[in-house]
Amino acid sequence: MGTMGLALPWEARITEQRLERGRVEPPETTRGASSASAQVSADDLTLASACQAGDLRAFERLYQLHGSRMKSMARNLLGTRSDAEDAVQDTFLKIQRSIATFRGQSSFLTWSFRILINTCYDARRSRMRKKEVSQDEPEAPEAVPRPEPRAPGAHPSLRLALERAVAQLTRQQREVFLMYEVEGLRHAEIAAVLEISETASKNTLFQAKKNLRQMLEAPRSSAAEAR
Amino acid sequence: MNINCNDRERIFLDGTADEWAALEAHAVACRGCREELSAWRNLSVAATEMHEQWDSPALWPRIERALAAQAASARISWWDRLLGSWNLTSLQWQTAAAALVLIAITGTAVWVASHRGQGDAFAGDLLKDRTVRDVEKAEAAYEQAIDKLDREARPQLDKASTPLMTSYREKLQVLDSAITDLKAQAGLNPANGHLRRQLLAMYQEKRDTLEEVLEAKQQ
Repeated sequence: MGTMGLALPWEARITEQRLERGRVEPPETTRGASSASAQVSADDLTLASACQAGDLRAFERLYQLHGSRMKSMARNLLGTRSDAEDAVQDTFLKIQRSIATFRGQSSFLTWSFRILINTCYDARRSRMRKKEVSQDEPEAPEAVPRPEPRAPGAHPSLRLALERAVAQLTRQQREVFLMYEVEGLRHAEIAAVLEISETASKNTLFQAKKNLRQMLEAPRSSAAEAR
Repeated sequence: MNINCNDRERIFLDGTADEWAALEAHAVACRGCREELSAWRNLSVAATEMHEQWDSPALWPRIERALAAQAASARISWWDRLLGSWNLTSLQWQTAAAALVLIAITGTAVWVASHRGQGDAFAGDLLKDRTVRDVEKAEAAYEQAIDKLDREARPQLDKASTPLMTSYREKLQVLDSAITDLKAQAGLNPANGHLRRQLLAMYQEKRDTLEEVLEAKQQ
């Protein structure tokens, strides 16, 4: 498999500072102890009930709790902040419309995330249909839009390379990778969002990371030249 | 705990904290595992950079307004939408009055068309009484057939075991809401062919969606 111009020497990509503040321990036992459980909590049900009753403050609470993660997830699926914010707004409207169907079988977070992901893919399909109509820049059905430049801070080449590589993953691999590695959801939560087993979530993440490694790996020839 | 290079991928996939610690200890003396471990972790660290936070002070107020508007429109009946509340502005009164005049004119046109037995300027859109009865009869039969499809697809939709099914369910909710609205309007103005055609289009869309649900079930 070609590297599609994504290759960067690993040692140059990650600074020690990032290594210190980033999550470096993959086992869930070290990462999710205090995060929300995939099981339905009393708070979750209270929040869902208040939303069902039409209490806008409950929706605001949901936004305060998860809005940031929802925006980031949508940003990574849609490519721009503006589209991400529109998707989050649509998600809240869909939550309001279908809150009566929430029966507490999954957590409110995972239920909301499922709606968010569907909304993002609807938005992408809609955008692609518009492009097809205008016959402007044909694009593969599963292609991910070109992301807008991110805020300065990280190595721009690294981010761009990783974003492009993530865009090459299968839909499920991309979703699992983004939810686990980027947004910090646990496998139990991801399994609930995507309606798959935890084992499938773990396998998908493993395969996603293997594929990403392969895509981001420097070609042997250029690596040798660098030395 | 004894760990060797062959355990590495299994630990990457689903290792316990103890196994990760053992792999780290093994990697001190094993260059291959050290490099793999480093690359694997670097990928996770790089991924955290993809999490993006930004201030959107206008977003929640925008969502709140949209939620309030949606909640209000769900509560307001078609009649309320037509006339507005009693606390109407001048423009709203004018709109409501115009709507009443339009209904009166349309009703008169239906009466004239059915009594004279000949077309007029509204001939394309207005149906005669007998035709209206035929259309309503056909609609009722069509609706029954779609209800039957709905009953078949309902268990699949209620389970909503996939994101696709969730999308279908939401789409059907929207279609049902639109059908209810159109039926209410058609009840007010039964001879309006345009409304009938819109209603038919909604029914067809619902039928197509239900057929897709049933096809998805078979696959």
